[in-house]
Order: sequence, then C-alpha cells, then structure tokens
Amino acid sequence: MSNRFRNLPLSYKISGIFVLANLFIFIVDISLLFGINSMSVEMEMAYQDNRHLNELTEALDNVQSAMTDYLNSKSTDSLSDYYISEQTYAELVGELTVSITDRAYTRMERNIRNMSEEYLSEVSQTIEAKRGRNVEKYRVHYEDASKLYEYIKSYIRSLNEERFLSNSEKYSALARNFRIFEVFALAVMFIVLLGSAVVITRITRALIYPLQALAKSADEVTVGNLDAELPKSTGNDEIGRLTTAFGKMMVSIREYIEKIRMSMEKERLMQEKELMMETHLKDAQLKYLQAQINPHFLFNTLNAGAQLAMMEGADRTYEYVQTVADFFRYNVKKQDELVSIGEEVDLVDNYIRILNVRFSGDIHYDKQTDERLLKVKMPGMILQPIVENSVNHGIREMGDKGHIFLRVYRDDDRVCISVKDNGKGMTPEDIEKVVGGKWKYEEQKGDSNGIGMDNVIARLRLFDDRDDVIHIYSEGIDQGTEVVINLPYNNA
Amino acid sequence: MTKETKGVESAPISNRSVIFLISTTIFAAAILIVAFLYIRFYLAGSSDEINERSYSRYYAMIAEDHKSSFWQSVYQGALEAAEKNDTYVELFGSNLLYDYSTAELMEMAVSAGVDGIMVYGNGSDEMTELINEASDKGIPVVTIYSDNSSSKRCSYVGISGYNIGREYGRQIISVSNEKRRVSYGSQDHPEEELKITMLVDSKMASYNQNLILSGIQDSMSQNPLSTGYSIKIVTVDNNNPFSVEESVRDVFMDNDVPDVLVCLNELDTTCAYQAVVDYNQVGNVYILGYYDSEKILNAISRNVVFSSLAVDTAQMGAFCVEALDEYKEFGYTSQYFAADLTLIDRNNVSEYLKKEEETDE
Repeated sequence: MSNRFRNLPLSYKISGIFVLANLFIFIVDISLLFGINSMSVEMEMAYQDNRHLNELTEALDNVQSAMTDYLNSKSTDSLSDYYISEQTYAELVGELTVSITDRAYTRMERNIRNMSEEYLSEVSQTIEAKRGRNVEKYRVHYEDASKLYEYIKSYIRSLNEERFLSNSEKYSALARNFRIFEVFALAVMFIVLLGSAVVITRITRALIYPLQALAKSADEVTVGNLDAELPKSTGNDEIGRLTTAFGKMMVSIREYIEKIRMSMEKERLMQEKELMMETHLKDAQLKYLQAQINPHFLFNTLNAGAQLAMMEGADRTYEYVQTVADFFRYNVKKQDELVSIGEEVDLVDNYIRILNVRFSGDIHYDKQTDERLLKVKMPGMILQPIVENSVNHGIREMGDKGHIFLRVYRDDDRVCISVKDNGKGMTPEDIEKVVGGKWKYEEQKGDSNGIGMDNVIARLRLFDDRDDVIHIYSEGIDQGTEVVINLPYNNA
Repeated sequence: MTKETKGVESAPISNRSVIFLISTTIFAAAILIVAFLYIRFYLAGSSDEINERSYSRYYAMIAEDHKSSFWQSVYQGALEAAEKNDTYVELFGSNLLYDYSTAELMEMAVSAGVDGIMVYGNGSDEMTELINEASDKGIPVVTIYSDNSSSKRCSYVGISGYNIGREYGRQIISVSNEKRRVSYGSQDHPEEELKITMLVDSKMASYNQNLILSGIQDSMSQNPLSTGYSIKIVTVDNNNPFSVEESVRDVFMDNDVPDVLVCLNELDTTCAYQAVVDYNQVGNVYILGYYDSEKILNAISRNVVFSSLAVDTAQMGAFCVEALDEYKEFGYTSQYFAADLTLIDRNNVSEYLKKEEETDE
C-alpha cells in the first residue's frame, strides 16, 4: 500500500490527503449529527405519555358527555356519539398495560384500564336501561358510572402528574445529556480539527520533504559545493523524478568538470615544458654571450697594448690605452654598486680624455669640485651618461668651440653636481620630456655605452626616494644646457 | 554526518507510519467515544424499564392515613412479605393527587379489580357493605388494625383491644406508684384519686373502645389502687384535618388536668406530648402513648412520655398478606391474627432508638 501510495502522482497524493481529511471530518460530523438527532427524537418523545393520557381524558369526557346527552335527550345523534366515543375510548384503554410492576404508573395504568372496563359496562347498562325506560335502574347505573368516571379522571390526572414528574426528570436528564453532548461534540470536532491539521501538516511535510532536500542540495550546488549530498529518490512521483534527474545531472556535471580539469592540467604541463625550454635557451644564449665577451680578456689585451706603447716610448698612446682600460673596467665593475662622487668625476675625466683623443681635443673641459664632497656616495654610471648626452646632443657639431663645465658644490644639506655645456640648448618641451622620463633612448648609437637618461633619472629617484633629483636648465636654442643633480649629503 | 543524513532520510517513512497510527487512533477514539456516549445516553433513557420488576398478583392496602409512619411501617411489612410470593402490595391512594376516604378508596380498589384488599375497617356500615361487595366480586378482604366484624371479611389482623387495655392498666398502676414515690414525705400533697383520661377516635367503633376499657379495668381491679381512680373518655375529633391537635389541647385547657393521659394512636401521642411540653405539665401529666416513632422514642428518653405501646407493625402487614395468600389458595384462613405488642419505657427505649438509628442509616 505504502509503495503504491509513493508511486502516485503528486497531485493525486495531495488531493487524496485533503479528500481523506474531509471524509474523516464528514464521518465524525455525521455521527455527531446522528447522536444529536436521536437525542432530539428522544426529547420529543419525553412527554409522549402525557399526550396519550390527555387523549384518554378527552375520550373519557366524550363518553360521559355523550351518555349524559343521551340520558337528557335520548337523541339518536347522542347515541351515535356515544357509540363512536365508546369505541375510541375502548381502543385507547386497550392500549394500556395489564402488567403489575413495582412502578406506580404501570399499576395506575392497569387500574385505569380495569376501572374503565367496568365504567364502560356501567355506561352501556345505563344506556340499555334508558332504552328500556327502566328509570330506577338507569339512575342507579348512571350514579355508579359517574362515580367511576370521577375516580378514573382522578386516576388519570394523578397518573398524568406522576408521568409528568418522571418525564420532567427524564427531560431534564435528556437536556443535561444534550448539553454534555454539545460540549462533547465541540470537543470531538476540535480534536478532529486538530488531528486532521496535524495529519495534513505531517503528510504534507513528508511529501514536501524530498523537495526540500532537493532544494537544499541545489542551494549548496549554487554556492559552489558540487560535492553536496544528493538526496535519494523517494518515489516515482514528480518530486522523485526531479530528484533522480537532479542526481543524474549532478553526476554528469561532476564528470564533465573532471574532464575539463584533466585537459587543463595537461595544457598546463605542456606550457611549463615550453617555458623551461625557453629559459634553458636564454641561459644558453647568456652563457654564449658571456663566453664571447670576457672583460678580463679585454682589459688584459688593453694592458698589453699599453705596455707595448710604453716600451716603444709612445707615452701618449700608453696613456690613452690605459685610460680606455680604466674606463671599461669601471664600466664592468661599478654598474650596480654605490660609488663615491670622486670616482664618478674620474670616470668623466677619463671619458673626456678618450673623446679628446678620438676627436683630437675638440672639447674644452673644466671642472670645479669641492674636495670635501668627493667622498659622498652615489649610484654608479650617472655622470658619464649625462656628460655623454651633453657631448652628443649639445656640442658635437660645434667643433673646437664646445665647452663642458663640471661643478660639484654644496647647497644646504644637499650635494649638487652640475654639468653645463654651451651647445644647442633645449626647448622647454624637450626638458619636460626628459625629466618626465618620456624621452626614449635611441639604441645602437655607436658612441654610447648604452645607458640612457631615463635609466639615469630612474636610478637616481630610486636611490633618493624623491622626484626632484634632477633639474635641467636651458635658456633656449643655442644657449647651452645645464643639468643639475642633487644628492643627500649625509650618506657618506 | 552520514549517520545524521541517514536518520533524516529515513524520517519521512517512519513519519508516515506514525501519521497513519495517529490518524487511525484518533478516528477509532472518536468513534469509540461517540458510541460510548450514545450507548450511555440510550441506557439513561431506558433505565426505568430495565429495573422494572413485574408481579403476578396485586393487593391493595387501604390505610387510615397513608402518610403516618405507623401505616408506612405496616405497609413495608406487607410489601416485604408479599414480594416473596411474587405479589405487589400497593398503599392504595398514595399515588393519587387527592385524598380519598377509605370507603372511596375501597370502591376504587374493587373496580380496579385488585387481587386482594387489606383495609382499615372503621366499623361503619358503609365499610361493611363495601367489604361485602368486594367479597361478592371474588376479592378477598382482610381488615387490619380495626375490624368490621359483621362483614364478610376473610380475616382480621390487629391487636386485641383487651390486651392493649390490660397493658395500659399495668402502666397506670406503675404511674400511680411513681407518683406516690415522688410525693412521699411531702405533707402538703394528700393522696387523691388518680384521674385518667383516655383519648378515643371519633371514628373508632365503640366495640373496640369497650374492649380496651375493660382491659384496663380488669388489670386495675387485680391490683386495686389505694387512692382509687376515675376514667374519663375524651373523643378526639379526627373528621377534619388538624382537628386532632385542637381536641388534644382542649384537654389541657380544662382546669381539671388529668394525671394519666392514654393515647390510642400515633398522632394523639405526638400531639399530647407537644401539648404537655407547651403547657408546662411535664411531670404532672403522665402520657401513655402508642407506637414507636422516632419522636415518641425521643420523648420517652426525655421522660416526657411515660411509656408507649408498640405494635409489631411489620408483622401486622406480613399477617395481612399471609391471610390473603392463604385465602386465595385454600379458600379459607384464620379469622384472627394478633400482632405482637411491646411496651417501651425508659428502661428499654435506648434499644429502640439504636434500632431507629440503624434503619435511618
């Protein structure tokens, strides 16, 4: 039964529950109604005896008055009245009990019955005597009959009273019962209401439970927990099918996600491999390049050249080669370290010397340095690129009129290094570009050591943690340029 | 976790069985209660018929006063005796709205066709005639307590007036002894004649009175009093209701208050007792009462009533039934049944009071 119920469609189940609940309430109501009905019938019957007795009295009165009428008038009408009433009364009397019990009213009924029979015989004898014109006889019978009539009436009245009392008692007992029954009916209806409410809620909950479980799982899935517990299918109704479908869907989603995850893993592995290969390649390239340029080899070569020049007595060549060797050594060594201002100034000196050799002493170079400040630390490879810039962009085309002026001085708590040329000058837009780091360094210029202004400015700013580390001043085109960098003094 | 979910998952199934259980229980309980109430109600409606007992024979008892405890007691005796023989005795007229005379009740009983009548025969001719009529119709009649000796009654159940008289005589003697003992030594109280007043019903046959009187006289003559005595007979008017009480009080209104007051029935005794108390004559007037009602017993224990004669009323009732039964069965029966007489005075009143209490409980 339970299984069959489970496999019913949901709508059948729900309507079934409500129909059953209503049927139940209906049955209870019907039984209550039946009880009330039977009680009211009984209550109606309570005074039935009294009604019967009243009928009896009436019939008795009719007999008596018919007899009196007949005795008075001797009319045929009254005679027929007498016969009819006598018949009625006899019938009513015949219904009375003959049994003797310990109940007063049954004995009274019996007495009434017997007395009535005698009364009726007296009456009929009276009528007979009247008909026979036996005056003496009918008078005697009439008196007897009348006496009996009084007795019977009194008896009936007493019985009526007796009956009325017991019936009243019965009636009030019935009424009391009726009240009790009313309360009981209310209680029963209340219980039934409560019971059916409980039953309906519980059955509904039981029906809805799989749906709730399903919703809970769905919520969990929504939040992202794909491993949520799948509700078991509870039957073959809509919810059961939905649950099964949801379960299947979840299983296939899980499988699908697993597949995707697997393929992604594969792809990642492949990428990793590729990257490794690239790194190895770069590494190989670097090693190759390193192998290609061995600075020591270069310096040793240059030193050998210098010694040769010294042996041959070419002092200037010796000096030049020595200067070049120093310049490159510095380049290799000091690229990423802090150096003193003095070392930077020496590098500039070397650089100008090399350039003057290359360009046969075209550049006029002056410097004015405060000896106390030469020990101050600064990032390496800063001044040389600035000077290189001045040479390349400022005074290159001026022949022997080009002039570079380097100055190191103290300004309050800062050390300033100024590189001033008398070259082409700069427009304010260009100055802006250079200071803002937007000036792109053009590569592959033969006369550069590869470090642009943007690099210089970026390193200075990193070193000092502030933006106004460099200032460029120019009066305009052909008015020369001054580049001033400032460094903190207290870092010595 | 798994355990928990398992429990939750299995919940709807057990729930369902619980629901079915609950609903079935409620349904069954509701039906049961309805059925129970219906049956209970039905039983209450028809309980009268269930407890009813029917009888094959029906005797009528016509009492002088069906309300008095004397007659009630006689009736109870008759009822109990009759029930053994599948006969019901009715105290005729007690269920009627109006009070009828014994003669009228007799007529009713005859026309109602009862199987036997026990009647308080008042000795009147009317009653004699009615008894004869009943007897002619085949209804045996037994006179009770008081006789219509000339009628066709089949038997008389009662007490012998002569015996009553003798007992009263003996009591009068002890009263006179008592009186003498009380007044002994007091010179101002010379011995005088003992004044006796006997209250008699106006309806009572003179024949009966005479029997009692002669009984008293006989016993007095056997033990003659030194002082002598006089007997006065006062007729109590019991034709109208409440007239008895008036008549009894009249006795005390008289200057000549009796020393001994003899009462021949329960009502007279009760009235006399009340009058003695009201007229402050306790100790002067000695009441010789009749019957053993609670009131009278209490009066004896308080020394207001000197003594009382009690008839075994239940025995009287039983004798009536016995006589009627015998007559119906064999066509004849003993002409006379005498019920036992008992004297109650302060020596044995506590016994009776105890008995009374027991029956009350």
